[in-house]
Formats: sequence, structure tokens, C-alpha cells
Amino acid sequence: MDIKDFIAPFAVWKRAFEKPFTVKKPIDERPGAPRYRGFHMNDADACVGCGTCEAICMNNAIDLVPAAGREAKDGDSGLRPRIDYGRCCWCALCVDICPSGSLSMSNEYVWIDRDPDVFRYVPGVEAKPWDGSALGYRRAEGYRLLDEDRVPMPELGHAEAVASFLELVRGYSRAQAEKEADRCVSCGLCIASCPAHMDIPGYIKAVRDGDMDEGLRLLYETNPFPEACGRVCTHRCEEACSIGSGGDPVAIRWLKRYIADQVELSDYAKALPRGAAPSGKKVAIVGAGPGGLSAAYYLSMQGHAVTVFEAEEAAGGMLRYGIPEYRLPYPALDKDIGYIESLGVSISRGVSIGKDIELSKLRTDFDAVYLSTGLPVAYGLEVPGEDHPRVLDGVAVLARATRGEELGLGGRVAVIGGGNVAMDAARTALRHGATVDILYRRREEDMPADADEVREAKAEGARLVEKAIPLEVRDAPDAAGEAALFIWNEATMVQKEPGKRPVPEPIPGAVREGRYDSIIAAIGQGPDLSFIAESDGVPVKRFRPVVDSFGMATRAAGGAPVFAGGDLVNDRKDAISAIADGHRAAIGIDRLLYGKGA
Amino acid sequence: MDATTFAAALDLALGREKAAVAFYRELSAMASFAAQKSTLAEFMAMEEGHVAMISGMKAKGSVALSPTVAVDLGLAARMDAEERPTAGMTFQDILVAAIKKEERSGVLYERLAEAASQPGLKSVFERLVAEESRHKRYFEDLYESEISKDN
Ligand SMILES: Cc1cc2nc3c(=O)[nH]c(=O)nc-3n(C[C@H](O)[C@H](O)[C@H](O)COP(=O)(O)OP(=O)(O)OC[C@H]3O[C@@H](n4cnc5c(N)ncnc54)[C@H](O)[C@@H]3O)c2cc1C
Ligand code: SF4
Repeated sequence: MDIKDFIAPFAVWKRAFEKPFTVKKPIDERPGAPRYRGFHMNDADACVGCGTCEAICMNNAIDLVPAAGREAKDGDSGLRPRIDYGRCCWCALCVDICPSGSLSMSNEYVWIDRDPDVFRYVPGVEAKPWDGSALGYRRAEGYRLLDEDRVPMPELGHAEAVASFLELVRGYSRAQAEKEADRCVSCGLCIASCPAHMDIPGYIKAVRDGDMDEGLRLLYETNPFPEACGRVCTHRCEEACSIGSGGDPVAIRWLKRYIADQVELSDYAKALPRGAAPSGKKVAIVGAGPGGLSAAYYLSMQGHAVTVFEAEEAAGGMLRYGIPEYRLPYPALDKDIGYIESLGVSISRGVSIGKDIELSKLRTDFDAVYLSTGLPVAYGLEVPGEDHPRVLDGVAVLARATRGEELGLGGRVAVIGGGNVAMDAARTALRHGATVDILYRRREEDMPADADEVREAKAEGARLVEKAIPLEVRDAPDAAGEAALFIWNEATMVQKEPGKRPVPEPIPGAVREGRYDSIIAAIGQGPDLSFIAESDGVPVKRFRPVVDSFGMATRAAGGAPVFAGGDLVNDRKDAISAIADGHRAAIGIDRLLYGKGA
Repeated sequence: MDATTFAAALDLALGREKAAVAFYRELSAMASFAAQKSTLAEFMAMEEGHVAMISGMKAKGSVALSPTVAVDLGLAARMDAEERPTAGMTFQDILVAAIKKEERSGVLYERLAEAASQPGLKSVFERLVAEESRHKRYFEDLYESEISKDN
């Protein structure tokens, strides 16, 4: 043995009394590089909890967890990403993909703790010293893994559009649809905001995969009106879409339409499930709008014999008699209805319940009754002169247009109101060659109509007069009964009570008038419940049937149970909500008929 | 204010509330279907509640009404002059009738408050004005949310 070998351990002992290198030169004196990918930060308010970060992380370092104080709501799952630094490889793919851009990384990389569990935390929810750090890794400006721009929808130009009733929106080609479908990250955030809870990521994936039969099957699971909804749905799902938190939301509605447009009606039966064997039970439905026919579809799938009673000559409800054909062409609506009828659903057209047949008779002749009669009564302007012959009701004008009747609106038309009926009436009048003023009591941003509708009405030439409080209708001078003066008071919006919406307050002396050949009132609609007698036992509160969570209004003795839904009952008053109500009632009726209790 | 004057003032209010009950009862007799009847029955029950409330105040000899006047949405003033609902009355017709009725009561109490020379009596009428303004506002809110949703 060499003498050095003997002495060496003592040389090491000498080091034992020195301070370690890392203490003499602490690493916190060496901050991470400015773009270092350090510990995560998350703007928890901007984050929508979509989980795209979780899906892209190849190390399974991210999971979405409930975050204290955050509730799930439309467009926000209420969850936030938790990062496990035992797994994270700091690749920053999560930051690059994040649709809302809420996720970033600080340049901090030192974190010393004896407890191994703390290295898993929810950034932005659990406070950390590096929160708000200006340095670190951010997605570079303009760089996105996801395409933030929607594939534009081919549409008719405005000049061409007002010259006819041709459908405005032309529909995606296969390449366009697949490109648009590619933008979806399948987060499923949209599902909760859809009243029918459609499997949106599922059918978008079907577009991506080019599997239209699968797409159609998924659509019909919750919605037997894909052609109609693919065109006119209020598409609140798109407001919830996580891609919309940093760019244009996925064009969910147009992708739905794309699927339905690709499959011929004659091929539907191949793609869609067969109904159950006949149950021997009979269900009557009053109203062949989307709500009534949706109930009819699901009831017939359950094997029940369904008869729909419809007062009008054609089925479709407000989808046919309200929405103009440039938004929803009749062949598209007929395709949806045609498939429902092909399943054996019988529609008795031109039969009005209450006039031709009493509700009590339906309760005797059928095992269950579903009411989906909508809102056919147009409310009046409620100003002096509202009975003037040139004051027309918006829904009636649109119904006449559907029937192909001469509208005789004249050259100057005023439309009073700011909802969808007003926009459709205004755009119909424009297509009949009129110049159109839309007068609304509040501001444009308060209008209940779809913002696209308002924008298009204006682009097609309608003039919007905001803050116009209707005062009176009078005969126009020298034109008794042929034209009318519409008189309104200009208003200013006043915040009279905190937390409530501002109130239009007339500006003293600012009274204006316009001479019009027609004044179309479109301030709101209500139900016609004259067909429900007290003896029918249907509870009604403030002109709405009162229903339980399955839409059941009564099981009163003396007849079949009565269910109700659609515009007649719900607050949202759009097609997809009526469809969801119809589906829900079908489930309730089925349970009741099979003795499971609704 | 002496007790007789107080009682007379509340008798007047009581009379108006009873007239309101009768108003809804009359409309209900004219009504032709269930939805009208249930709505009118609900509004009539509200008025019956007011009758009971004012009777109670009369018995106690004091007015327990908030002096806070509800914010005026301005609907009543612009509504078409009185039109009596008919057998086919809609929800709009019923609400307009209700709003106009509350407006009339408010105006009457306003006039009585102006005319009252005794401060105590004035205050009773002012509180009745405030109460009617709240009733009117209740119906106006319903009108805004249920009838003129699109305007
Ligand atoms: C002009 C206009 C534009 C609209 N635009 C859109 C839009 O873009 N997107 C959207 O989602 N929604 C839109 N809506 C709303 C949508 O049309 C309705 O929400 C939907 O049609 C409601 O369906 P429903 O089945 O409840 O009633 P409805 O569609 O109103 O159908 C009720 C049916 O019952 C029948 N009926 C009524 N009483 C009787 C009786 N006593 N006996 C027999 N039959 C009877 C009626 O004739 C009617 O066919 C619009 C509505 C209008 C009026
Ligand atoms: S459409 Fe939008 S919200 Fe729905 S699953 Fe796709 S990305 Fe998510």
C-alpha cells in the first residue's frame, strides 16, 4: 500500500468542515434565462378549464381538478390544470396549445422542500412566489399551434341576397368542413351549454374522419332536426367553445349542417337506429313544430304510435311559418320532417285542437298527450292608433310570405322591435323591395335578436333607429288607411337602479315621426291557451303550463297524462330548447307508460 | 290626525282594494279559458292580501307601509287609454288592465295627499301612493319580461 492511500481519507475529512459549494455560491444568484421554461403560471380568470393542456401533455403531468371558488358555467368547466413536477419535462407544449393563452411559464426553476407532495400544484389558484413573473416562457406573438381563424363560410353578397329569397349561406365543401373540424380540440366544453347536450366533439370528429353515417347517428341521438338546426340554431355552444377564448370559436352549427347535407334522406335509415318493437301505446302531440316533432321522433323510436295534430296546412311550426326561406329553405326542413314521418309518425295537418277536436277527447283516446303549441299570438304595440289598418303583426307577415301570398307592404316599412321576428320581418320587407327602418326602444347591444341577424339586416340596407319609444300611430295626411304616421319619442338610457338594466327615458320634446306604408309590430308573442279548459286539469300559471322536470303538467284522473314543452313553457324560446324539451318529455312519457313513474 | 280621519282615509283605501278584488272577479266571470282564470285568480288573491293588510292597519291604528316609491318604468303613462278586456283577453290585455288600475289608484292618492292639510293624513296618503307605485312596478316588470321582450 502506498502512503498516499493511507493519507487520502484524512484529506477528505478536511473538506468535511468546509461549507458546501452550493452554499458558498447559492444557485438563486443564478436566475433562469429570460425565456427559461420554469414553473407554470396560469391566469385562472382567463383559463376556461378546457383540458387541452392535459390532453397534449405526453408525460401525463397535468390533470384538471376542481378549483376552490370556481363553479362550472357555460364556457368554463370550473376546473383548472394541476401540474406534477415529478413528471413535467418542461417542454411547454401546454403553453403553446392553450386556447385561451392563460398558461405560461415563469423562469423560476429553484424550489426546495422536504415534502415531495408539494411539487404538484394548481398554478394561478395556489399562490407561488413566481406568480406574475415578467420573465419566462410565453407563446410567441402570432405563433399558435391551433388555427385561431374559422374557415370562412361562403355566402351570397348582400346585394345579391336582397334581390331574392335564395339561401344566403352556401355551406362548406368537404375540404372546408374537414379543415374547420380540425380546429376542435374535443374538450367537450360546448356540450353543457347546448340545451339538447348534443355530442358536439363526437360529430365534429366524425367530420374529421369523413364518417358521415356516424356523424348523423350522433346528431339524431339528441336532435332530429339537424338540417334546420345546422342553419338557424342559436348556437350558444359556440359562445362556450374553448377555441373562442383565443380566436374564432369552432363553427359547430355549420359542421352540423355539413353532416346532414351530405347524407341523402333515402340513406338515413341505413345510418340511423331502428325503433323499438310496437308498444301498443298511443301518444297524441299537439303542434308539429320542432318541439312536438322531436317528441314524436323519440316516442316512435320507443315503439309508441304517435299522432301529431297540427292546425296549419304544413308541419314545422315557426321554423316554417316564422323563419324565412333565405335562412332555412323549405326542402331542408322537409328533409328533417320527412324522416320523422318515414318512421310511421302520423301528422294530421289542418286540425286545430280546441276547435276541431277537444283536448279532453285526446285525453280519452290516447295514453298520453304532449302540448307544444308555441307562441302564435302577436302582442300589440299598446299605443293609441295601434288598430290602424297599416299596423301589421310581424309573425302574420312572415306566415303570409311562407304561404306565398302577396304582402302588399308598400315602399316604406317600419319594423318595431329588436328580436328575431323583427329582423326576419325587416329582411323579408327588404326582399320585397321596401326601404326599411327598424325602430327599437333600447340600444343595439340590448337587442334580443341574434347579433348576426342585426348585422346582416343593416348590411342589407335596413336603417336601425335605436332608443325610439313608440308613442302613437296616426293616419298619414292625404292617405287615410293607406299609409300611417309612426310617432316616437327619442330616448336616453338611464341607469335608474343599480344592478338592473338601464331604462329608456323619453327626452322631453324629442318627438319624431315617420310616414310609412306599413308598420310591422314585432314586440313579442304569447301563447294561445284557449284550447285548455279548467276541466282538463292542466295547471297554468301566468299563461304557461306548469310542468315537472320531465315536462309533465298533469296526471289528473279522467284522462291521459298531459305533458308540455317548447316555447309554450321554456324561457329560451329557440328551436334547440324546444327540441330538448320534446326529447325530455318523450323520456318522461315512456317511463310513465311503462309504469316507471315520470 | 284624529282617529276618525285616520279611519276614513283607510276606509277609502280599503274600498279601492275591495273594488280591485271585484274588478278581477268580474274579469274572471268573463274569462273563457283556464289560463285567463288562473292569472286573474292570482291577481285577485294579491288584492285580497292588500284588503287584509289595510284592514289590519286600520284595526291597529297605524300605517305600516314603506314610504319608498318604486322607480317608474314609464310604461303605464304611454299605454293606450283604457280598454276593457274581452272574453278572449290575452296575458297582455290582463297586464295592461292591471297596470292601468294601479296607476289610477296612485293618481287618486297623490291628489288626496296634495289636498290633505293635516300632516298625519298627508303622510298616510303618501305611503299609499308609494304602495301603489310598488304594485304598478310589479306588473310593469312582468310586462317587460313576459310581453314586450322583443322591444
Ligand atoms: C320569426 C321567427 C324567427 C325565429 N328565428 C329563430 C332562429 O333563428 N333560431 C332559433 O333557434 N329559433 C328561432 N325562432 C324560434 C323558434 O322558431 C321556436 O323556438 C320554435 O319553433 C319553438 O318550437 P315549438 O315546437 O315550441 O313551437 P312552434 O314552432 O311555434 O310550433 C307550434 C305548432 O303548434 C301548432 N298549434 C298551435 N296551437 C295549436 C292547436 N290548438 N292545435 C293544433 N296545432 C296547434 C302551430 O300551428 C305550430 O305549428 C324564431 C321564431 C320566429 C317566430
Ligand atoms: S367545439 Fe369547441 S368547445 Fe366543443 S369540443 Fe370542440 S373545441 Fe371544445
